[in-house]
Amino acid sequence: MSQTVNLSSQRAKEARLGKRIGKTGYTICVSVTVASAGVSLFGLITGFPFALTFLGLSLLALVPALWWKRRLSVLPPKGKTLDDRLSLDVLVRLHSNQQMQPQAMWSSIQGHWQAQFFSNHLLVGMDAVTGSLSTDPADLPAALDVAAQIADQNQSQTIELGFVVAGLMLTSPQFEQLLLKIKSQPSDVMVMANWLGRNLRESRQSKQSFGGIGRDWAFGFTPLLNKFGQNLSLSIAKHGAHFGSLTQSDGVLAVEGAFNNNAGAVVLLGEDGIGKTNSVYALAQRLIEGNTVPSLAYHQLFSLNATDITSQARGAGDLENIMISLVNEAAHAKHIILFFDNSQLFFAEGPGTFDAGQILLSVVQSRAVPMIFAMSPSDFQRLRTHNQSLASLLTPVTLQEPPQAKVMEVLEDAAVLMENNSKVLVAYEAMREAYSLSGRYNQDQAYPGKAIALLEQSIAHSDNSIVSAQSVQKAVEQTYGVKVGSVAPTEADALLSLEDDIHKRMINQTYAVSAVSSALRRARAGVTNPKRPIGSFLFLGPTGVGKTELAKAIASTYFKSESSLIRLDMSEYQQPEDVQRLLATGQNETSSLLMSVRQQPFAVVLFDEIEKAHPNLLNLLLQLLDEGQLTDNSGKAASFKDCVIIATSNASAQTIRERVSRGESLEAFAGELTDELINSGQFKPELLNRFDDIILFRPLTPEELGKVVQLMMAEINQTLASQNIAVELTAAAVGAIVAKGNDPRLGARPMRRALQKAVEDTVAQKILRGETNPGDKIILDAPDLTL
Amino acid sequence: MFMLLTAFISWWYGDGWKSVFSSYERRLNDLSETFSVRQLIRTLFDPWRRIISYPGASITEKFRAWGDNIVSRAVGFCVRILFLLGGLISAIAIIIFTTVEIIIWPLIPILIPIFLIGGLII
Repeated sequence: MSQTVNLSSQRAKEARLGKRIGKTGYTICVSVTVASAGVSLFGLITGFPFALTFLGLSLLALVPALWWKRRLSVLPPKGKTLDDRLSLDVLVRLHSNQQMQPQAMWSSIQGHWQAQFFSNHLLVGMDAVTGSLSTDPADLPAALDVAAQIADQNQSQTIELGFVVAGLMLTSPQFEQLLLKIKSQPSDVMVMANWLGRNLRESRQSKQSFGGIGRDWAFGFTPLLNKFGQNLSLSIAKHGAHFGSLTQSDGVLAVEGAFNNNAGAVVLLGEDGIGKTNSVYALAQRLIEGNTVPSLAYHQLFSLNATDITSQARGAGDLENIMISLVNEAAHAKHIILFFDNSQLFFAEGPGTFDAGQILLSVVQSRAVPMIFAMSPSDFQRLRTHNQSLASLLTPVTLQEPPQAKVMEVLEDAAVLMENNSKVLVAYEAMREAYSLSGRYNQDQAYPGKAIALLEQSIAHSDNSIVSAQSVQKAVEQTYGVKVGSVAPTEADALLSLEDDIHKRMINQTYAVSAVSSALRRARAGVTNPKRPIGSFLFLGPTGVGKTELAKAIASTYFKSESSLIRLDMSEYQQPEDVQRLLATGQNETSSLLMSVRQQPFAVVLFDEIEKAHPNLLNLLLQLLDEGQLTDNSGKAASFKDCVIIATSNASAQTIRERVSRGESLEAFAGELTDELINSGQFKPELLNRFDDIILFRPLTPEELGKVVQLMMAEINQTLASQNIAVELTAAAVGAIVAKGNDPRLGARPMRRALQKAVEDTVAQKILRGETNPGDKIILDAPDLTL
Repeated sequence: MFMLLTAFISWWYGDGWKSVFSSYERRLNDLSETFSVRQLIRTLFDPWRRIISYPGASITEKFRAWGDNIVSRAVGFCVRILFLLGGLISAIAIIIFTTVEIIIWPLIPILIPIFLIGGLII
């Protein structure tokens, strides 16, 4: 097409005239019309001589008023050329001597809300947009071409001002660079243009048609329903609704279709968060707009809540009476659809619960009231077992998790509501982040519910009333305890000095500490595969050399608490059924790995002494290391993508001890040792290959054991600090403890026992004998110790 | 200026006049919606706000319920028919007004100079 705007076209001139007349001119014309007509009427009655002249004057003022109201102030599109299709909003902002180039065009239209819609949601300042646009008139036709294409794509004959903005942005290479700098994509502009187009289309088509003022005289009273239920239709009519794309969703249309095909009751099936309740609200919106099948015209939707009904009933008999009365009232009043949200609560089994199954069965059989039930597929399965007759009468409509594009549309609609209700601005990057992070961290709910819930939580973290990707990251960090935001300078320093921090509680094992620290740094900097755990390591070495201690040290330094260590003793998982325990779900499953990780997705998972586990568990570990997730018995995944996975093993401990004692370095025989593990059948090659690193731990020397004693002493001093007592060991005392506690087979493990016996017992005796007072410093030499 | 005058005349005798014709349907539809015409006609003989008596076992009770329901239906009929009559009167007014508007519309630009000058002469 490649054309530019003709500022001398008839529409352009009409637009400028309309702007000049404006609302003020229109009001003046109407006033003159009314006043002149009044005078004329008075003249005609009283015989005033200029009555006809005033009538002429009245018509003279009426004509421009009508022209402005019906034509100039709306200026509908007509024809296919650019001049015929450009929105009035654009035309009134262009002067007759307007420079026709992208930057000047933007400057003219940037004050309009549609231009601000783009800059606000993209978080790009107006000046930044201006600076990124071309000043070459030759670039404008391409931008307008794109705007026309976007209008076509949105089935809009009018080229809206927002589409022109999108055209200007999408055809500017500098603007593309600007977007990339703020981690956005040119496709975001396109998404927003379509979002705007959808909003404009819906707002123009929106029309309430709820039966008129005589509706209540055609139908019956509903006092009980008003008391126990919520009239969704009335609520939407009063407060408005914006279910946007959901009103056209397959689920809503399927419900309508089912009722149109004479279904008595429909059951909406879907997981939590998939939008069952919102689909019913969207149906209510369609009913109000009169945009529905004839059999549902003018129907009102009442939602019944089992908890509300139960709380207001005095006993089981009373509950049944209330239910019967509610259903009877709906049947008599006509034109009412009953919606049972969380329907499983109406069919609960067991003492103290409420089963309305039999009452509802007779209603569904008689088709007296159209009803919609909402529940999860598993609850529906339970209903089938429990009340087969009722289940078979319900027409199931299964809601599927929508694809990403649809979820984003629902998020856009939800964002509009949030912006109105919470007076915040929801940036597009926040929506994208909410989609991505809710998918990663919330396995309990389905889309779009989980993304909406996260976006709502993010409002509390808005900065200057702007909900950005950072706000979403903060909400995730607070809810799940994971680190997803960008690295702050203090955290960067901590990451860079991770080895030093770990070495404050770990003696030697430099290679192991360095390998793990590097993995954590890579993960935090975002350069690792996000679909796998942060890092996975197999620690090999003799007992008591610091394998478990390193896992604890990582939990304490990087994950900020030792409680972030999920430790599984593999000697407890030697039977096939033990493996199932790991995958069990349910609040009472305390030994379930999946439950632990769902509660604490940012953790160190330690599989201690992995060689003792059942082979099935090793297969499970393969899946975990490969995909970064495990799936429970009900098919729900638990993510390990923010975990460090550590498996420890004493396999080949003897070999390590022998070769290190012969003076060989760990690095020299690490490969050989791995081969030996595979050849001896202790580990499958596919498992070893999946670990990021296999780290050998060497036995500690007596000097290193001495340092371990000092670290343990520091812990004892921390305990004694509350009594204001300090203990210090002389070098001879440390040597004596090492000599007593050193066992080459058990590493540093006996050292704690030796220290307890030697120091703690000695200090305890001193305290009890009154030989030590608060503020004292006890210096223990070798002869003082009880060894 | 000439272009704007042409634009005005072509709109007045083109889309402007057409919009008055199309306003017939729109205005009558809005009126029907406001007065709930379809629902009221469909439920013309239904009991008033669905207040229904349920017959008991005895013949007296059955007879009383039948009588009550007849009264309820009569009340419903009266209220609805009165409301429908209100709607009908409004519809007639709309039809007359719109018809007059259609007839006068093309004459208005011509009547302006006639009235302005004629009023001064007479």
